Amino acid sequence: MNLQFLEIIPQTGPMFVATLYTIFVGIIACAVGVGVGTGLLLMRNSRFWLLRKFVGLYGSFIRGTPALVQILVFYYALAPLMGINIGPLTAGIMAVGFNSGAYVAEILRGGLSRIPAGQWEAAEALGLPKHKTWFRVILPQVYNSVIPLLVNEFTMVIKITPLLSTITVVELTRASQMLYNETFRPVEVLLLAALIYFVICFSISQYGEYLQRRSMKYRL
Amino acid sequence: MTFDYMAIWDNRDILSQGLLTTLIIAGTAIPVGVAIGVLVCMLRISKNRLLRWPAIAYIEIIRNIPLLILLFMMFFALPFFGVRLSGLTTGFICLSIYGGAYFAEVFRGGVEAVSKGQFDAAKALGLKYGFYMRRVIFPQLYGYVFPPATNIALTLIKETSLLSMIAVSELTYAAHDINGRTFTPVETFATIALIYWGISILFLKLTSGLQSRIEVGHISRPITIR
Repeated sequence: MNLQFLEIIPQTGPMFVATLYTIFVGIIACAVGVGVGTGLLLMRNSRFWLLRKFVGLYGSFIRGTPALVQILVFYYALAPLMGINIGPLTAGIMAVGFNSGAYVAEILRGGLSRIPAGQWEAAEALGLPKHKTWFRVILPQVYNSVIPLLVNEFTMVIKITPLLSTITVVELTRASQMLYNETFRPVEVLLLAALIYFVICFSISQYGEYLQRRSMKYRL
Repeated sequence: MTFDYMAIWDNRDILSQGLLTTLIIAGTAIPVGVAIGVLVCMLRISKNRLLRWPAIAYIEIIRNIPLLILLFMMFFALPFFGVRLSGLTTGFICLSIYGGAYFAEVFRGGVEAVSKGQFDAAKALGLKYGFYMRRVIFPQLYGYVFPPATNIALTLIKETSLLSMIAVSELTYAAHDINGRTFTPVETFATIALIYWGISILFLKLTSGLQSRIEVGHISRPITIR
């Protein structure tokens, strides 16, 4: 067989729109993930036993079940169960964000463990209240130290967005499925989609590695 | 809202069949993935560019493309070249190739973590490359690579759920099937989520039992996938 890219090139417009859509979904989901992760970090350090236990259970569930199943549960089960009617896009973003949140929480925990105890003591000596210690002293330093890892987390999020095609979110994978159903050229279309994903993820992960190398240099 | 647990119980044979398929795919793809990983790792750390560069290309391409796209590509592309494989075989091959890239990266991380003096000492003793790799370097590797490798094996178990998209009748597909017959999405998807969770917890218990026998080192850059 011979690949005929020229035939599909004029019709790839929707795919590039969908690429932007994928990146948009990724950014929002990542933002949700950072929010959820921060919440989990605070809960892990709370003095209430139940909250700490919940964080462990949540992390175990997210890491123990496939992202696809989480998305399906969120879309078909959780949202109707709570009586809220949300579209596939919102459900998808929330599901991916909550998935990412568990991993971001782990990243933030790693960052938190590198904060020297002197920071806590200094904040206490200055008489800062607890919430100010967290939000004005500790968390900014934690975020700053984990930026390279958060950049890598973004590529992870981009790599789970194709699963949203199962709940009819028209991102890059769904758009390419629609295109090859029209043109009957799955190989060319999927190769193009793979190339687009590769370019996005590779460039971001290389940038993350660059940031990591740089931060290593400053630390040493 | 009422729950219809009978819908699950009546279709328990579909679920158990799906679970079995999931376990079979994961149980075959993980060892094959590890084998590919060892092979690619050896190529990746070799001094010869002709061996190293294809390995780098393989690792980077697989690691930066979503598994779903790989699955679809293989599922649709192979028939174009006249190769007809069942969804199950395609999925198994795809998962092995996918896992191989991540395992290779983990093993390379381990080899780099072994101190350089070990290589120098082995060379100074005049040991042959294959011999010192097998008898000196690899035995020291287990502690470094075991935790991240179990992580990736667990990920592969979870990623078998994607095979439902190419009509392999594993656990997630079984859930879609039951949901289509009985229209009980809440119960079915919650059930399979619990089953996957149970498999993962069991797997982690088993591997941590193994791990406690091995001296555990730590790896500088944890490699995880999902």
